[in-house]
Amino acid sequence: MSSTILCTRSLACRTSRSLQQPFPDFLALATISRHSRLQSTTSQPPHTPSPPPNAPKPIQPTSHKLSQDALSQTTKPIRPLTPDQRAFLSSALRVNQTGELAAILIYAAQNPVIVRSHPHLRPLMKHMYDQEAGHYKFFNEIISKHRIRPTAMTPIWTAAASLLGWSTAVLGREAAMACTEAVETEIGTHYNEQVRVLLDWSRKCEERGESLGPELDGLVGELRRIRDEELEHLDHAVENDAKMARPYELLTEVIRGGCRGAIWVSERV
Amino acid sequence: MAPVRLSNSLLGTFRAASIRPANAWRQKCLYHSYDYTESPPFPPAESAILSSAYNHVPSHGFTIDALKLGTRDAGYLDVSTNLFPRGAFDLVSYHLVTQRLALKDNVQFPGDGEQGKRMGVGAKALAIMAQPTYIPASLVELAKLADEIWFLAGDQSVDSSWYTKRASLSTIYSATEVFMTQDKSANFTETEQFLDSRLEDLMKIGRFMGALGEWGNYTGHSTINVLRSKGMRI
Repeated sequence: MSSTILCTRSLACRTSRSLQQPFPDFLALATISRHSRLQSTTSQPPHTPSPPPNAPKPIQPTSHKLSQDALSQTTKPIRPLTPDQRAFLSSALRVNQTGELAAILIYAAQNPVIVRSHPHLRPLMKHMYDQEAGHYKFFNEIISKHRIRPTAMTPIWTAAASLLGWSTAVLGREAAMACTEAVETEIGTHYNEQVRVLLDWSRKCEERGESLGPELDGLVGELRRIRDEELEHLDHAVENDAKMARPYELLTEVIRGGCRGAIWVSERV
Repeated sequence: MAPVRLSNSLLGTFRAASIRPANAWRQKCLYHSYDYTESPPFPPAESAILSSAYNHVPSHGFTIDALKLGTRDAGYLDVSTNLFPRGAFDLVSYHLVTQRLALKDNVQFPGDGEQGKRMGVGAKALAIMAQPTYIPASLVELAKLADEIWFLAGDQSVDSSWYTKRASLSTIYSATEVFMTQDKSANFTETEQFLDSRLEDLMKIGRFMGALGEWGNYTGHSTINVLRSKGMRI
């Protein structure tokens, strides 16, 4: 009996101590991603090298309106995507759309329960929900415009996300925020990965004197904005005592594992 | 020795038939860019042979003879038909792919019976497509056609209805195709009626399912809200 009391007391001590530290370790991921964000943002070369004379000739843009748009921005020819690149984009964007659907369902399920017991959280919950709804709309348009197959698991993810949001909200404010923290950590990592890959393609195209085309350049910008908003939600969750959730490690690890599994499945199915 | 040769030749047949459908499957529903045009579906030589062979289809049908005549017309040796291990099916596949890609230019002018005649492949081609080896490739092509039609119709569904829409359209399309082979009416008017009534059925089912979903959603939310208003902590 006394040992359990001691145990919880020491846990509480450790938690409060870590909260007092200027740079607590649970922010490590946020700082890492912020660091790489800075790196990735500044990695675009300021000048463009001239194309090598014997480079393989890429396809010239043919669509009239788009080619004019492209020419007004840059006179560099557009590099067609390889099948592997198209497969990467398809699965990544499919995961993004599914992830945003899950996010709005989680917030929608948490909202009534949380707001009733903590009315001061109403503006924050609404703010986060509205941003997620904007992301969802954006990715819906992207995947129907680019003819990407949506995931076949939509009904299952819908049920799972609603259940996750509702059950963490019933567990309390801290558990709900821990859920937000775990989910946004995973999804932020996923977005970071995409931005990194797209910037890598872009850099390789620049080296050949070509460009990825206005579509993908625009997509990188949007992905960055959305990732920053997701990481902002992560910060909000941490500010609202996500760390105080009782079985914190268990809760976040289970949710993060679930997210990774869902991403893995949605990339394929 | 004989069993080895038999298994080798079987394996060869299987490989020839399976390589292309696998590629076709992999290229299905990938990221579609508007910044550049897609590369043509067939390499230049194959395209030249197939298009001249295609001109012989009205007189010779989807046969290996049409393919041979086309090879000669395009200025290749007869042996070049080896480019097409699937023989007549490659010709059928050429027809399906080119008609599918031409759909986006035809769609602005909804045609009369003539349009239907152009899309239909006929009983013999259906018989070729229904051979067990070619069924996967045929199904892939059917799925691509359904995808193309929904895309051109401006469909923007991003949930499970993406699948149900394509599945139901594919079913209706293949049923109509089979119906058309037995249709003796002028300008295929009976086929057109058949298609219209199937589409009407589909819309009825769609409206019913939509209403059912809306009802379920409404009832579920109302139940939860009533329980919450009674003070239940859910």
